Amino acid sequence: MRLLTRALVAVALAAMAAVVVRLRGTGGTPPHRGGWRELSTEDFVEPVEEP
Amino acid sequence: MRAVLVGLGAVGARSARQLLSSTVVDGLLVLVRRPDHVASAVASLDGRGTVELAELSTEAFLRGLPEAAVVLLAAPVAAPYAGLAVARGVPVVSVADAPEEVRSLLALGGDARRRGVAVVAGAGMAPGLSCLLAAAAAEGMDELHEVHVATAGTGGPACARRRHAALRELVEEWRDGAWERKVASSGRELVWFPELGGADCYRTSRADPLLMAEAFPGLRRATTRAAASRRDRFTSWLPMLRPPHPEGAVGALRVEVRGRRQARASTVLLGASGRPAFVAGTVGALAAELAAARLLKPGAGGLAALAASPRELLAELSRRGVRTEVFEGAGPTPTS
Repeated sequence: MRLLTRALVAVALAAMAAVVVRLRGTGGTPPHRGGWRELSTEDFVEPVEEP
Repeated sequence: MRAVLVGLGAVGARSARQLLSSTVVDGLLVLVRRPDHVASAVASLDGRGTVELAELSTEAFLRGLPEAAVVLLAAPVAAPYAGLAVARGVPVVSVADAPEEVRSLLALGGDARRRGVAVVAGAGMAPGLSCLLAAAAAEGMDELHEVHVATAGTGGPACARRRHAALRELVEEWRDGAWERKVASSGRELVWFPELGGADCYRTSRADPLLMAEAFPGLRRATTRAAASRRDRFTSWLPMLRPPHPEGAVGALRVEVRGRRQARASTVLLGASGRPAFVAGTVGALAAELAAARLLKPGAGGLAALAASPRELLAELSRRGVRTEVFEGAGPTPTS
């Protein structure tokens, strides 16, 4: 019984740790320069190249 | 010409309107699981052609094939119906984004080539528009190395359910000529979308890498991510806790293409924004029109592989109201 309880506690702790690891934080850096420009039909006449 | 449309959800309804307002299709056979649920949607199709509504079954589908110039699958039932159509020499367009469904369509490639018809797998927003944007960006490069696709938002309820499942299924990414399995909802990346701004995106099970690897031989990496909240990721292993909305709000797409141009590293970022159901419906309808007119290459694949000129398709989509954008002003790409 004691072994079973310990196993259940271990599984519960592992599940809680997994949830924390899976959900915590945000990441990345937004672009400091540049922005989106809408393309018109004329923009597709030539291949789209690196601006 | 007459088209067979399977499914009349948010995407199917948009495709139906586009097809009926085109010069290629003048009649539609609409097959759905429950015709009584879509009677009003059928009545609202105010195109110039005729619309016939019937319950989806193999018999009804086969009855419609002799007169059909194209089959547009806008419901997750692709493989069996696509096989029947290809066997009778009728081109097929599917808006499905699930890797398994797309794989089953790609398996029809040999038969499709023999019969000279196109099987377009993934003709929605992503895959679909994502393939066209990647192809357009790749045209300006000497070597193409990587394609990374990210999306935000969903179309109708079927699309929302599919996204929910895609956040828990195993994800396959293309890396150095082989498939690598990754855990869904992992690999957080802040993505800057047109219209929407920044959103945390995670690996998701979608067919973009599959179609990119097929379309661009020599591609080193192809990944796909979707914007998701903590609740989305935490509940992805549960059934959906509430019914999805009839149609999602404005969504966005971002395609990052990396390669080499004139002996230096080059990165092109293209994107699109709009209601995903409208974008997917418009891409699907345009692909169906081209397939019906036999203007796509025979065989099975995505739009990047089958379209003769992806840029012409993007120009046409722009004329039809699909807003595409380029990210510029970020400065030169560091040499690699």
